[in-house]
Amino acid sequence: MTGPADLIFYFVAALTVASAILVATLPNIIYSAVALLFSFAGVAGLYVFVSADFLAATQVLVYVGGILILILFAVFLSNRISTVKISNPVHFNWQAALLCLALFGVLSYTAVSTKFPVKPGLSYQPTTAEIGELLMTRYLLPFEVASVLLLAALIGAALLSRPEGEKERSADMEEPK
Amino acid sequence: MEALARSLVSAVPAIAGVPLWTVTLLMMVLSAAVLLAFALTFGGLGSYVLRKVAGDIQVRIGPNRVGPYGLLQFLADGAKLLLKEDIIPAKADRFLFILAPYLVFVGSFAAFVVLPFGVGLTASDLNIGVYYVMAVTSLVVVGILMAGWASNNKWALLGGMRAAAQIVSYEIPVGMAIMPAVLIAGSLSLQDIVRSQGGLLGIFGWNLFHNPFTFFSFFLYFTAAQAETNQTPFDIPEAESELVSGYNVEYSGIRYAFFFLAEFGDMFVVAALATACFLGGWHVPFFRAEALPALWGNLLSLAVFLIKAFALVLVMMWVRWTLPRLRVDQLMRMSWKYLVPLTFVNLLGVSLWLLIFKGKGIPALIASLIG
Amino acid sequence: MFLGNLESLKYFLPELAITATILLLVAAHVASKNRRSAAPALLSLAGVGASLLLVGLLPGGPGTSLFEGMVALDGFAVFFKALTALATIVVVAMSMDSAELKDKSQAEYYIFLLSVLLGMFLLAAATDIVMLYLSLELVSIPSYLLAGYLKGRARSTEASMKYVVYGATASGVMIYGFSLLFGLTGTTHIGEIGRGLALGKATLPMFLAAAMVTVGFGYKIAAVPFHMWSPDVYEGAPTPVTAFLSVGPKAAGFAVLVRFFYTVFATPDAAAGMWKFSSVDWPLLFAVLSAVTMTVGNLVAINQKNVKRLLAYSSIAHAGYMLMGFVLLTPVGLRAILFYLVVYLFMNLGAFYVVILVANGTRSEEISDYSGLGSRAPFAAVALSVFLFALTGIPPFSGFIGKVYLFAEVINRGVYWLAVVAALNSVVSLYYYARIVKVMFLEDPRESAVLPVPAFPRAMLCLLVLPTLVLGVYWEPVIRVAADSVKLLAF
Repeated sequence: MTGPADLIFYFVAALTVASAILVATLPNIIYSAVALLFSFAGVAGLYVFVSADFLAATQVLVYVGGILILILFAVFLSNRISTVKISNPVHFNWQAALLCLALFGVLSYTAVSTKFPVKPGLSYQPTTAEIGELLMTRYLLPFEVASVLLLAALIGAALLSRPEGEKERSADMEEPK
Repeated sequence: MEALARSLVSAVPAIAGVPLWTVTLLMMVLSAAVLLAFALTFGGLGSYVLRKVAGDIQVRIGPNRVGPYGLLQFLADGAKLLLKEDIIPAKADRFLFILAPYLVFVGSFAAFVVLPFGVGLTASDLNIGVYYVMAVTSLVVVGILMAGWASNNKWALLGGMRAAAQIVSYEIPVGMAIMPAVLIAGSLSLQDIVRSQGGLLGIFGWNLFHNPFTFFSFFLYFTAAQAETNQTPFDIPEAESELVSGYNVEYSGIRYAFFFLAEFGDMFVVAALATACFLGGWHVPFFRAEALPALWGNLLSLAVFLIKAFALVLVMMWVRWTLPRLRVDQLMRMSWKYLVPLTFVNLLGVSLWLLIFKGKGIPALIASLIG
Repeated sequence: MFLGNLESLKYFLPELAITATILLLVAAHVASKNRRSAAPALLSLAGVGASLLLVGLLPGGPGTSLFEGMVALDGFAVFFKALTALATIVVVAMSMDSAELKDKSQAEYYIFLLSVLLGMFLLAAATDIVMLYLSLELVSIPSYLLAGYLKGRARSTEASMKYVVYGATASGVMIYGFSLLFGLTGTTHIGEIGRGLALGKATLPMFLAAAMVTVGFGYKIAAVPFHMWSPDVYEGAPTPVTAFLSVGPKAAGFAVLVRFFYTVFATPDAAAGMWKFSSVDWPLLFAVLSAVTMTVGNLVAINQKNVKRLLAYSSIAHAGYMLMGFVLLTPVGLRAILFYLVVYLFMNLGAFYVVILVANGTRSEEISDYSGLGSRAPFAAVALSVFLFALTGIPPFSGFIGKVYLFAEVINRGVYWLAVVAALNSVVSLYYYARIVKVMFLEDPRESAVLPVPAFPRAMLCLLVLPTLVLGVYWEPVIRVAADSVKLLAF
C-alpha cells in the first residue's frame, strides 16, 4: 500500500500541519506569513491528491497570490522598518494549549471514529468543466450573490482607504496640469 | 506521463523489470532537466540579444569582444556571476534573503511545465494549463516581496512593494485577456487551445484572426502581460533612476542570477503563452505538422513555436528600448481604469460572437460563404 | 420539486429590486458631486419600499423551492422579508435624522445597508449551506463597514475591528460544522442533509456539527456566549446602525436558526414539532442557552451608564427570551418567536430613535444626560418610556403579549424552570429600564433649554409608538399572520 504516492502524501500533509503550527507559534509575524505560504501550498498539494485540480490552482491563486500578499502588505505598511517591532506574541500559553489539545482530541476522534460515506475508487478526472457547469446551473444564485458581496466589499475598501475631509476626491491621483 | 512510461516499459525489454513509478519519476526529472537547460540557455542568449538590440536602437555596438560578434559574452557573464562573492548584508534577514530568489525562480520556471512546445512536446499537459500558469505566477510575487523586505533596504522594499502591487493588479487583465482563447477552445489545457487553432491553411485558424475581439485581446494580453512581468515601460519596480535596481538591489552573484533568469523566464512564458493562445502555437502555416512522422512533426512544430515566441520576445525588447517608463499612479490607472474594463468588454464581445456565430470565426464564416 | 433558475426569477422580484437599487446608488454616487445630498437616502427608501410591496405580492403558504433548491419561497421567508424590509425603512428614516451621519458620505452608507438587507432576504430563505453561508457573509461584511462608518472616531473603528474578528471566527467555526454535515451526507442541500442524517447513527459528529453551526447563528443573534462583540459594537457604531443591527440581522439570524434546525433536526411530520434525534437532549441544551443568554444580558445591563450599551445588553436578553420559543421546536413556539420579533422591531427601533434624537441635541448617550428630559422634550421622553416599558413586558404594552406567548409554550410543554428564570429576568429588567424613566422624569435637568424635536421624527415616533400600544390590546391579526408564516417549506 505504501507506494511513492503515499510517501508524497504524508510529506505534503506533514508540511501543511508543521507550517500551520509554525504560523501560530513563530514570534515574528513575517515568518508566520512565510510559514503560511508553505501551509497554503501544502493544502493545494492535498487537493491534488483528491483529484481536485482546479481547486488546487485556485488555492494557490487566491491564498498565495491574494491573501498572503495582502497580509505581507499590511505588515509592511503598518510598521516602520527601521524599528523592527514586528511581533506576534503569544499570550495565555498553557490555557490556549489545553483548549486546543482538547478540541484537537475531540475533532480527531470524531474524524477517525465516524464512518463517513466515501465514494469508492477515486478517479483522476478533470473537474474544471463540471465546476463551470455547476456554477452556471445549480449554484448560479450563490455565484451571483457573491458578486454583490464582492461589490459591497470593494466599495467598503475604497471607503476605508479614502482620506477624510474636504479633499475627498483628492487631486493626488490626477494628472498634473 | 505515466501512460508514456507504461508504453516505454512495455516497448523496451531492457527496463521491463523496473517499477513503473521509477520510470515515471526518471522521465519527470529528465523533462525538468531539459526545460531547465532551455530556460538557462534562453536566459543567457536572451541577455546577449537584449544588449545587442539595445545597442542597435541606441546606435552603438553592444557586446562585441568575447567570441565572434560577442556571442560568447553570456558565458563570460555567467562565469562572472558564479564566481562573484556572495554578499548577504549584515542587517538583512538571512533566512528570507536566501529563500526569496528560489521562490521567484520556482514561480517563473514552474510555468514552463505546461508550455506546448510542439505537437507532443509538453512536459505535462495539465487540463488546467492556463490557470496553472496564472497560479504559479503568484509565487513570484511572494518571492519579490520577501526579497524586498529581507534586504532591509529602502529601495529594495519600495521596489518589492511596487512589484507586488503591479503584478497583483495586472493579473486580472492578463487572465481576462487570455479567456477568449479558452472560450474558443473550450478547455484550459494549452495543448487543446493550440489544437483548436488548426483550421484553414494553418494560419487562418489562429485565434488572432478569429474575430475582431480576439484580435484586440491579443494586444491587451501582450500589454498587460508585459506589465505583469515588470518589463519596461512598466518597470517601475526596478526603475534604475528612482530605486537603483529595486527589490534585487542587495543581491549579487548566484542569487542575483536567479532573479535575472526568472526575469527572462517570465519574458519567454509571456511570449509562449501569447503564441499558444493567439498565434496558433506550434501550427505551421500552410502545412500540417501533425501529419508528419512523430519525430519530424515534433521537430518542425518545435521550431515553428520557438520562432513565433522569439519574434514576440524581440518585440518586447524593441518596446523596452523605445518607450519611456510610466509613473506609479499612471501604471495603476492603466490597469484598473483602462485595461480591466477593456478586457471585460472584450470578453463579453467574444462570448457574444461565439453565441451568435455558433463558435465560428471570420475565416471559417468566409470559407462557408465561398463554398 | 425545484424550480429552475429562469422560472424562479418571477418570485425573486423583491431581491432584484434591492439589487437594482444598490446598482443605482453606485451609479448615482459616481455621477454626483455632492456627497452629502439626501438623494441616496430617498432612493433607498423608494427601493426598499418597492421591494416591500413586491414581497407583499409573493405567494405565502407551504411554498416551493427556487433556484435549483438554493432558496425557499414559503410563508416563513416572506414573513422575514417583510419584517427586515420594514426595519430597514425605519432605519433609513432614522439615518436621515442622525447628526452623526450628516457629514459623512451618504451613498456608501445606503449601499451597505441595502446589501445587508439583500443578505437578510436570502438568509431567511436559504435552503442550501453554500447559499446560507454566502448570505450570512452578505449580512456580515457590510455590517462591519457600517459599524466602522464613523472613521474618525476611535470607538467606531474599535467596534468594526471587534466585529470583524468575532465574525470571522464564528463563520470559521460554522463552516467547520457545515463540512462535517457535508461529510456525513454528501450534499449541500439542508433538506437532503436532514434525510441523510436520519439514515445514519453518527451522534458525535452530528452533535459537533450542530454545536458549531449554532456558534455561527448564535453570533448573529448575539446569544451568550457568542455575544462578546455586541456591547462594544453597539456602543461604537453610529446609532442608526446599532438600531439596525439589533433588529435586522438578529431577526435574520433567528430565521436561519429556525429554518436550519427545523429542516435538519425536526421530525418531518412536525405536527407535534419535536426534535428528530433523541440521542442528544436538544431541548435542554437550548433551554440552557436561552436561560444563560437572558440572565447574562439582564444582569450586566444593570450597571450600564451608556444608553446604547444598556440597550445592547437588553437586546442580548431579548435574544434569550426569543430562544424560549425555539427550545421545543414546535410550530406554536416558533409562532411566538415571529410575533415577538414584530413587537420587538417597533419597540427597539423606537427606543433607538429617541436615543438618536436626544444625541442630536445633547451630543451624549450617557444616562445621566437624560435627566429632566421629561421637561426638556416631553414628547420624546414619553415615547421612550412607552418603548422601555414595552421592552420590560408590562401589561398594556405589546411586549407583554409577546412574552405571554413565549412563556405559554414553555409552560405548556412542562419546562417550568425556564419560565421561572425568564420571569425573574423580567423583574431584573424592570429595574434598569425604569431607572432611565426615573432619570428622565424625576431628576432635575442639568440644562433647561428645550430639546427641539422636528416634525418628521415626531411623526416617525408616532408611527412606532402606535403599534407598540395597539399590539398590546389588539394583536389578533398579527398572531394569525405569524401562525400562517410558520409553514416552512418541507422537503
